[in-house]
Amino acid sequence: MSRSGKRTWGKTTVGVLLTGIMLFPVYWMLNVSLTRDQDMRKSPPDLFPVHATLSGYRTVLEEQLPYLGTSLVIGLGTVALTVVLSAPAGYALAKLRPRGGGVLGFVLLAAQMIPGIIMAMGFYAIYLQLGMLQSVPGLIVADSTLAVPFAVLIFTAFMSGIPGELLQAAKTDGAGPWRTFRSIVLPMSRNAVVTVSLFAFLWSWSDFIFASTLVNGGAHEPITLGIYHYIGNNNQEWNAIMATAVVASLPATVILVLAQRYVAAGVTAGAVKD
Amino acid sequence: MNSFSRGRRLTAAALTALAVATSATACGSGSTGTGTKAADDGTYTIWDPYPQFAKGSAWVKLLDACGAKAGVKIKRTGFDTSDLANKTLLAAQQDNSPDLLIVDNPVVSTLAEAGVLTTTDENKLDTSKVDPNLLAAGQVGGKTYGTPIGANTLALYYNKKVLKEAGVDVASVKDWPSLTAALAKVEKAGKKGITFSAIGTEEGSFQFLPWFWGSGAKLTELDSPAAVSALSLWKGWLDKGYAPNSVLNNTQTTSWQEFATGDYAFAENGTWQLAGAKKAGFDYGVLPVPASGGGNAAAPTGGEFVTVPVQSDTGRYTTTQKLTTCLTSTQNLYDTDTTLSYVAPTTEIQDKQVAADPELKPWVEAVRSAKGRTSDDLGTKYPKISEQMWKAVQSALSGSKSPKDALTAAQSAVK
Amino acid sequence: MSHTTRVPHRRPAPDHSGAAGAAPAAPPPARRRPSSQQWAAWAFLTPVTLYLVLFYAYPLYRNIDLSLRNYTVRSFVQGDAPFTGLQNYRTVFDDPTFAPALLHTVVFTAVCLVFQYAIGLALAVFFNQHFRLSATLRALFLVPWLLPLIVSASTWSWMLNSDSGIVNAVLHAVGVDPVNWLTSPSWSLISVIIANIWIGVPFNLVVLYSGLQSIPAGLYEAAALDGAGPWRRFWSITFPLLRPVSAITLLLGLVYTLKVFDIIWIMTKGGPAESSTTFATWSYQLGFGNLLPAFGPGAAVGNLLVVAALVFGLVYARVQRKQALS
Repeated sequence: MSRSGKRTWGKTTVGVLLTGIMLFPVYWMLNVSLTRDQDMRKSPPDLFPVHATLSGYRTVLEEQLPYLGTSLVIGLGTVALTVVLSAPAGYALAKLRPRGGGVLGFVLLAAQMIPGIIMAMGFYAIYLQLGMLQSVPGLIVADSTLAVPFAVLIFTAFMSGIPGELLQAAKTDGAGPWRTFRSIVLPMSRNAVVTVSLFAFLWSWSDFIFASTLVNGGAHEPITLGIYHYIGNNNQEWNAIMATAVVASLPATVILVLAQRYVAAGVTAGAVKD
Repeated sequence: MNSFSRGRRLTAAALTALAVATSATACGSGSTGTGTKAADDGTYTIWDPYPQFAKGSAWVKLLDACGAKAGVKIKRTGFDTSDLANKTLLAAQQDNSPDLLIVDNPVVSTLAEAGVLTTTDENKLDTSKVDPNLLAAGQVGGKTYGTPIGANTLALYYNKKVLKEAGVDVASVKDWPSLTAALAKVEKAGKKGITFSAIGTEEGSFQFLPWFWGSGAKLTELDSPAAVSALSLWKGWLDKGYAPNSVLNNTQTTSWQEFATGDYAFAENGTWQLAGAKKAGFDYGVLPVPASGGGNAAAPTGGEFVTVPVQSDTGRYTTTQKLTTCLTSTQNLYDTDTTLSYVAPTTEIQDKQVAADPELKPWVEAVRSAKGRTSDDLGTKYPKISEQMWKAVQSALSGSKSPKDALTAAQSAVK
Repeated sequence: MSHTTRVPHRRPAPDHSGAAGAAPAAPPPARRRPSSQQWAAWAFLTPVTLYLVLFYAYPLYRNIDLSLRNYTVRSFVQGDAPFTGLQNYRTVFDDPTFAPALLHTVVFTAVCLVFQYAIGLALAVFFNQHFRLSATLRALFLVPWLLPLIVSASTWSWMLNSDSGIVNAVLHAVGVDPVNWLTSPSWSLISVIIANIWIGVPFNLVVLYSGLQSIPAGLYEAAALDGAGPWRRFWSITFPLLRPVSAITLLLGLVYTLKVFDIIWIMTKGGPAESSTTFATWSYQLGFGNLLPAFGPGAAVGNLLVVAALVFGLVYARVQRKQALS
């Protein structure tokens, strides 16, 4: 290790540099969140928020906390729904070789290609009839459509890596498909579950189009709509918008950093046997 | 291989069948009204384009108070203004329209054309006191479909300090040549001339219209020499550097931010920026957009209309009428327009507004000479014309076509 | 920390066809399956199938229906629009916007895919060498992904602003003339491509990085012993072994990129003069970007996008099957 210590530091430097370049727009967002209204369009712009104002953050902390809570609930709900729907499907597609499974797989792939706005309008028409507009469960179902096809894909890929002998053995012991799934397949797919959960969470966290179509004006709105409230009819409070974005991305960042080692392992395992 | 394609066909057929079934039931239940509101449970829905007003704001309190007065509960939803027209169309398709709809004025004629709105004959809105030029935006084929809740329009804000340093007397700005001359002086003094919004949306058309109308052009003839002169005016400013290139991408908000830096002499913007102007920290004035040969150009009216969408249960109109009467009462209109920073739609309230805030005087005058975009019975022809107009503005300013060619193309596309 | 803790025992050939896409898993006709297993399989699949039908088929059906009828706002509300067959598609094909929009869609998608993939792969290889802070830095790379699109797109349009943007300020400082990134017809497409690449890199990085994790370290050691340099090792081990991951990454990337709408809409609205209009923004422009929506043609353009993505999906399925057979 000591021999290569020097080289490692060299790489770390390059890594930090690259990360710096990649995150520059994020820094810029932070900078704007601290800028006063009248300096927003200064030319040339200030590299640092010289006349920093915390007014954006003050507004956000006063108004946006409930939105963050709602987003959290919606994110977790989406994760649960996605896993419940797609893990069994992945198992069936990977191991039980259903007739028509290939078609279903293709339909899943195709499903991801429907533009979001079309999906949103369809949901709107359905929910209007069911009286499910402005409800959190409704949004959870809608948000899960962002993740389910991808999740089935990942689960299928991952679960086909589970040795057939193991399942055969369980069968010989008299376990039905459901028990095999619950006590062997699912525990072995922990990393896939984490990966899928993470993606599902992130997608629902950053979803805007469903939120704005389906729950706009409701009692519980997610953070992306919280941001939108600063974009009024004729007026936009940019430092509040950017401040919300900063605040909104903090919890997501924490989750991401904590979970990323699973992501790596999970996606690998699956997407990608090969 | 064979089984694959057969399976696919089967699945496709099944999917289609199910989808048809779903949509059929959707339509079926629509007429019985099982949607968001039951027959008459004493709850009335109101949609408005003011998402910035949350619960507890004066606007929402006013709605609740009007509901209480009429003896019903109010369910209010604030939508993003660009979404509202589509949401309304979809809701009407499902026979689930709100009881009361407050909507951007150029949308009124589209919704009326779609048969979504009731006329003032049916909904008994009293429009007798409203300024006729404002009401015109809500009139199609001799019928009126709503009443304005307030109006706004465009004028030129100017930065007194910048003009003074450049040696420009604002009184000299009377027509296009004198305005361009003023911009040249400002540019020479090392400051920036004028900013506006020429973005490729309705906002861009809204901002171009004062110049378009000020040249004497008509919306029915986009390629008239007068129209070309208006677009050439803008193009000339960009070419000479009097206006920044960013106008092509500016919304009215970003354009305002440019003006708020204090570097610009002029900005074309609306009534709603008054509050922001006071915050900007420099001395500003307001003058009407000049017409090409002097005098004031007609600016387009902005602002929303109170409308009553068609209900299958016509018994609801009686209560809705109480709500609209309450919302448009003199005192409530005054309060609402003060909150929105709008000019009121009736002379009586306008005078009251000017008495309370003399700064509103030029705006009241501008609104009185303003013109609805869908007026002249253009109705649903306006959206098509407007789209071609903003496209032409974008083509000309970005240099991909000359003003004349751009407008000629626009006119032929409208037909 | 060990990333590979749970990487399962991998199985060679037999399951091949079920690989990632699960797409074409055309079952070998020879094998007979017991029917009880069939029942079980479909029992497991029922929830997701119902879900698909309920929540995907209906919007899609609606959109197809919209594209086959002559909808005006009035008939949209009354529901009595006359069936006009492919008339809307003909309108769209004849529209002067069609050719440029097609070109921009192809260029946008292709360039974004190539760069996202190349940058993602380069970064994945770089971060795959374990050095101090590598895990943390890699995680930070994912931050752009967490930002709501409306915010990242707005941030980019600020940075690229002609007059007060930081990019032009930097260019000015090094003596380059300012560029009208968003307002010149020759630059607007490039600008939205740059922003979209930035947003897409994290996804590619995550998936490709995890793909790299599954390549046994022993292979590299053996190659190093044989005297292969890093460049050789990349081309003869990493790249070929990464092919399945690459395929699925590119396919998903393609599907997501074709759909990209928010970024372009927020940054340029498809302009100026349609110089950055793609099918996705055009569809939106027709259906929603105007006071008077043209539902029919808008839906038709949307369907063309779905068809295009489907074609690529089929190509992918074909290629997968060929690989599985060979």
